[in-house]
Amino acid sequence: MRSLRFILITTLACLVSAAAFGAGFSIFEQGAKATGMSGAFAATADDPSAIFYNPAGIAQQRQLSLLVGGTAINFSNEFRGDPNSIFTAGATGQYNRHTFVPPNAYVVVPIGSNLSFGVGVFSAFGLRTDWQDPWVGRFISRDADLKTLSVNPVLAWQTSNGKFAIGGGVEYRRAKVVLNQNLALPFLNPFTNRITDIANARLASDWDSSNGWNIGFLFKPTPRWRIGAAYRAPMDIDLHGAADFTAISTGNAQLDALVAPSIPVDQPINTTIPFPAITNIGVATTVGHNWTAEFDIVNMTWSRFKALPINFETTPARNIVRPQNWDDSNSYRLGLNKTVSSNWDVRLGALYDENPQPIESVSPLLPDSDRIGVNFGAGFHAGPFVVDAAAFLLHFKERDTNGHNLDGFNGTYKTDATLWSLNVGYRF
Amino acid sequence: MKSKNIRLAVAVAVAALVAVPMFAARGSANFTRFVVIGDSYGAGFQSGSLNINHQVYSWPAIIAQQAGLKLCGPTATATDNCFAQPLVSYPGIGPELVLQNLTVGPVSQSGQGTPLMTTFGRPYNNLSVPGATVGAALAITGAEAPSAGEPTAVTFGRFILRGLGTEVQQAVAQHPTFIAMWLGGNDYLGSALAGTDKALTPTDVFAQRYNAILDQLVAGAPDAGMVVGNLPAVIPPIFTLVPPFVINPATSQPVLGPDGKPIYYIAELGDGTVGQLPPGSLVLLDARAQIASGFGLPPVPPFNALPNAGKPLPDRLVLTPTEIGNIVTRVGEYNNVINQAATARNIPVADIAGLFNSVTVNPATGAGGLQVGPVKITNAFVTGGFFSLDGFHLTDFGYLLFADQYIRAINAGYGTEIPLAGVTPYMQQWPLPAQAGIPPGNASAGSIVVPDSVSIDLRTMFGAVPPARHFRAVHH
Repeated sequence: MRSLRFILITTLACLVSAAAFGAGFSIFEQGAKATGMSGAFAATADDPSAIFYNPAGIAQQRQLSLLVGGTAINFSNEFRGDPNSIFTAGATGQYNRHTFVPPNAYVVVPIGSNLSFGVGVFSAFGLRTDWQDPWVGRFISRDADLKTLSVNPVLAWQTSNGKFAIGGGVEYRRAKVVLNQNLALPFLNPFTNRITDIANARLASDWDSSNGWNIGFLFKPTPRWRIGAAYRAPMDIDLHGAADFTAISTGNAQLDALVAPSIPVDQPINTTIPFPAITNIGVATTVGHNWTAEFDIVNMTWSRFKALPINFETTPARNIVRPQNWDDSNSYRLGLNKTVSSNWDVRLGALYDENPQPIESVSPLLPDSDRIGVNFGAGFHAGPFVVDAAAFLLHFKERDTNGHNLDGFNGTYKTDATLWSLNVGYRF
Repeated sequence: MKSKNIRLAVAVAVAALVAVPMFAARGSANFTRFVVIGDSYGAGFQSGSLNINHQVYSWPAIIAQQAGLKLCGPTATATDNCFAQPLVSYPGIGPELVLQNLTVGPVSQSGQGTPLMTTFGRPYNNLSVPGATVGAALAITGAEAPSAGEPTAVTFGRFILRGLGTEVQQAVAQHPTFIAMWLGGNDYLGSALAGTDKALTPTDVFAQRYNAILDQLVAGAPDAGMVVGNLPAVIPPIFTLVPPFVINPATSQPVLGPDGKPIYYIAELGDGTVGQLPPGSLVLLDARAQIASGFGLPPVPPFNALPNAGKPLPDRLVLTPTEIGNIVTRVGEYNNVINQAATARNIPVADIAGLFNSVTVNPATGAGGLQVGPVKITNAFVTGGFFSLDGFHLTDFGYLLFADQYIRAINAGYGTEIPLAGVTPYMQQWPLPAQAGIPPGNASAGSIVVPDSVSIDLRTMFGAVPPARHFRAVHH
């Protein structure tokens, strides 16, 4: 490891893992009604957001409907260095404040008496971990930003008695990722005896896309019981982009001149991000006149995420394959809906979401952990208008890397998130 | 019912017994009155200088802060609750070596610092005296009359110990609750720097004095917690800056003899004979001037143009493998003494030898070095980050690693959870602020020229000489 190039390569390897997000980068909040019920919606699926949760659900919607909204997501977090690690002991860090608003929009068009056509636009995956400078982990990740947008036309059909429905469609998904980190001198700056930044690396992809599909079933054996299941196919998106390296002065011209040739040239890069399959299965029942309860299990096949390549097109010698070795994960979701008047519904939900990330991969790029959430929601409908709102408090269990992080960057991550969902709809 | 209670009581008692730590160190890890006995390392000496800029990064100062103590500033008074060190103004005693230009190499600052706290109203918490041996810690009080050629420890002791007693006596006088100690380095380093294995403290004398120090401390502070450290046998850079064979100044490569092998210098070999240095020999830095005038070079063309060609390098400027082996063996004996003395008194031992071994790179394989975040710390001169510019004291970063070894030993011995000192304060500010303006160095005041091997090393590190083999390392 005498060469700076080697360090650059290894730090780039770290950087690549930024794309390794997790259950942490799926966004399951794609409609305020479903969010008010903690996402337990595969068996209910009675508004246009069913296109996301269970496409079979639009077959029971016999009016031309529009639904538009978004979820505002705020994170608060804290990193505390491992008191037994010389590198991180005493260090702290947190994200810059951002509000992320993944949007969603749906239209459902009934055709005849048994068929419905719908189109959904949503952002089912995304992530931002933007650490406040000066951040001790900046040589691993300063900022990671993944955005996706999907367009999902579906067709659904139900039996004339409405007991059974099936739906499915195709999904066009586009994604863009930006990763930012600093590169360090691989030894102490001999002029200052300090750890020293020498360059900033920004890897930014273009918007690139791939196609998938989804399918769902809905079964209503009795007027009080409903069973729903849906599957969204996995996808790999090949991303192409550019790596930009900007030199940072070490404070000494002689050292800067020595460092300069070792900073990589700006060049095209490419990578592939695997997205998991999502399977959600739910059971719903009506209790009394006013109560509906649904319980869902949602499985994501994060074990597809075994490794991530980054290919440098000008200097292929720098190509990297970064192991990830994630696990499949389940979340367990319980939602309640109470009709309180002819215009008003109130909702309550709770969830437990397992994280798929092995402890070795828990890093500033995405410090994921098991999550516990509670949801509150309300819906108002009058005439053709529908307004749904939900609040979602999500607590990430404190996660300590216990000395196992692959980059030797160890410590404890604490994260909490607050999500506010709002949708407005119109039924023609 | 009754027997159930008895069984419960027994179970609780057994559980309580099992919960007792396996190793119960003496006293407790109470840092209310924390004192340190040591040498130049403990004082925070680096780059040829003792000065305030680096005293605040001495290993005792770092432990004190991790244990929750504040450091005394230069204007502190005796009643202030802080960890006192004998602070010296910049550029220090002696003036600090600084690096401003990789081609020129380290140069001394001009001027001289002065002690800032000579009237401080109590003994210093950090009683480390540069140059102190185990003997000096028991004998030197700072009241010694000045004399020409006096030991380093006497000169420094004058303003650190101030006639108030020996290091050990002043430690005890403070009714310490915790004592950290690192002594023994000067019992062999002084001999090595004199190019001989003849000035080593004999092992029996070392044992007697080391045990005498601990006896005095234990008797004077029977309830205090304690920690000591073992000694490294790693060769610091000051011994490797001048290769033991002739170098062609134009190419920086060894001059090869008729047999195709490097031409080793001729020297007094320490056993009464004169001959070519065997491979593995070390040449001290001060030999450079002598070599320039022909000492150590064979009296054949082109060397015989130099006035002293054919004359051997004096014994005091070289260490032969035999001498090095004897010194290393002696360090091992000292470490046995330290381990036995500490174990007998339930004192944990910090693994300083292990730290030095971990930063040492095997010159043949390139393996070794200590990775800390993005940087690798090695024993290399200038670029290694561990040894300071004088080639054998440590850098701020080196003393941080030293302190962390002590904290690990304390935590292991006392079951405490004192956090390690981390490197966050050792990260250069980014974005970089406007230059603070380091005073310009004075090249004429004395300098260490970076040997060509270091600049080659630097260029290699930065890829000016493309090392293709490094790309293969990616696939590991």
